[in-house]
Amino acid sequence: MSSFTRRALMETSLAAAGALTLSAAPVDAAQPVVRKGRIKQSVCRGPYGKIPLQDFCQACAAMGLRGIDLLPPADWATPRQYGLICTMGYAGGGTISDGLNRTENHAAIETAFRENIPLAAQHGVPNIITFSGNRRGMPDDQGAENCIRALNRLKPIAEDHGVTICMELLNSKLMHPDYMCDHTAWGVSVMRAVNSPHVKLLYDAFHMQIMEGDLVRTVQTNIDWIGHFHTGGVPGRHELDDKQEVQWDGLMRGIAATGFQGYVAHEFSPTRDPLTSLRQAVDLCDV
Amino acid sequence: MSHKLTRRHWIETTAAAAGALSLPAGLNAQAAPAPVARKGNIKQSVARWCYQKMALDDLCRAGADMGLKAIDLLNVNEWDVPRKYGLICAMGYAGGGDIGNAMNRLENHDKIVQAFTENIPLAAKMGVANVITFSGNRKGMPDDQGADNCIIGLNRVKKIAEDHGVTICVELLNSKLNHPDYMCDHTAWGVSVMRAVNSPHVKLLYDIYHMQIMEGDLMRTIQTNIEWIGHFHTGGVPGRHELDNTQEVQWDGVMRGIVASKYQGYVAHEFIPVRDPMTSLRQAVDLCDV
Repeated sequence: MSSFTRRALMETSLAAAGALTLSAAPVDAAQPVVRKGRIKQSVCRGPYGKIPLQDFCQACAAMGLRGIDLLPPADWATPRQYGLICTMGYAGGGTISDGLNRTENHAAIETAFRENIPLAAQHGVPNIITFSGNRRGMPDDQGAENCIRALNRLKPIAEDHGVTICMELLNSKLMHPDYMCDHTAWGVSVMRAVNSPHVKLLYDAFHMQIMEGDLVRTVQTNIDWIGHFHTGGVPGRHELDDKQEVQWDGLMRGIAATGFQGYVAHEFSPTRDPLTSLRQAVDLCDV
Repeated sequence: MSHKLTRRHWIETTAAAAGALSLPAGLNAQAAPAPVARKGNIKQSVARWCYQKMALDDLCRAGADMGLKAIDLLNVNEWDVPRKYGLICAMGYAGGGDIGNAMNRLENHDKIVQAFTENIPLAAKMGVANVITFSGNRKGMPDDQGADNCIIGLNRVKKIAEDHGVTICVELLNSKLNHPDYMCDHTAWGVSVMRAVNSPHVKLLYDIYHMQIMEGDLMRTIQTNIEWIGHFHTGGVPGRHELDNTQEVQWDGVMRGIVASKYQGYVAHEFIPVRDPMTSLRQAVDLCDV
């Protein structure tokens, strides 16, 4: 479900915008909601694809969000018109099923990152996304070695530009069968071996609740290796409401207690009025 | 917090103190005020060992007042006490072994069969809905052999349970933090044993606290496997304290998921309060009354 939506959006927006659009004159946003700031919140573009990006950024700024997740380079300038940034960029880091665990993908990813990471730095994009790829019969230890090799090639680019490469943790139980980076322990073992302040995990709490549970303890134990978070109600990946099993404000308190300085991006598909649901999630996680 | 130690300590203390079944000492209970009316979609209970400083009678009275239906984890000689307050014991200790030593070893079976043969008829008489048992620890035994042994053991006792309408519950516990080496630490393994035994009176005790630590994916796991679940326990994650807003499980959400599965059994609170115990318990009962 998520890969489908995300994939469709990427194709659409990449096709629509061949080159980086120059920013139009900034719009005067109403005074935004003041947030406590202990958790810097963001939102993934995908579930709100029907709202034009400019309108979406304006609404997000007004509700006290700090950024937009999962924009292609062509869109990186847009949130800045509204005082936001793109908090997690697509920069050619492969796809969910084809990523860093295959050496034959490394050259293309390196080329893309050499081109896009300097651009990310220029647009204040703090993180760019990558993936392990699927197993396809490959043992986890060999996949880890391949990921480590790739990330070691890529990390000087990230370090030189102060941009963090984030490898996403996803569930292989329901939504991304065969995805390799599906457990925190495996992801952390890769991060430890690469050992860079600019190579981290994207801990998707929706996916990890499905795979592992034990959220607060896992996050707190491994916070050194986590660069970014995603949310989403469990089960179903809808609103963070009282019909799902994760107490998001409790988890946010656990994250805040670690002194985490990165972003938490909402990534759920609203079933009710999208911006009302988003606003409720932002209020809930503003602990 | 060390649940194992505390629970074990409690059993030893109370078992030593009371040798035989005490007969109810008349109806000396005070006329209680009308209890809080609950919606009744979730029948709630509470684990005795988390409130050890209170006399059992006092816990029962307070529990009845706040709309609880039962008390969990009482010894045989205590089963009559909740009945004075309109409650039952929802989960009894009936000699089903202990966490480290139970059904996964054949050498434990005779003793458990003997205890259940003696105590399950008593449980039925006292309205005790469930009695507890455990897998025991692995101690190097492969999981499939442990499952085979549990199936042999449960097949020996299931007729006693069925004849008396009492359900034997095997508890799921976390082996990651609190009970290292415990075998029944994943729902899938427990369900495989339940399917093989296939009795309406042999079920899993799905401890939500423990399974959140081991597995997550609570509602989907519960709803998929509800026919094999006979009882639930709660407890804030992490820490096993109050079900408050510093922990990661949204308990009312989980309760809605349980209600949606048409579950008819009990949900027992099993957390160690760090604030005023009865206030914390009352808040948990309010939260789970969905």
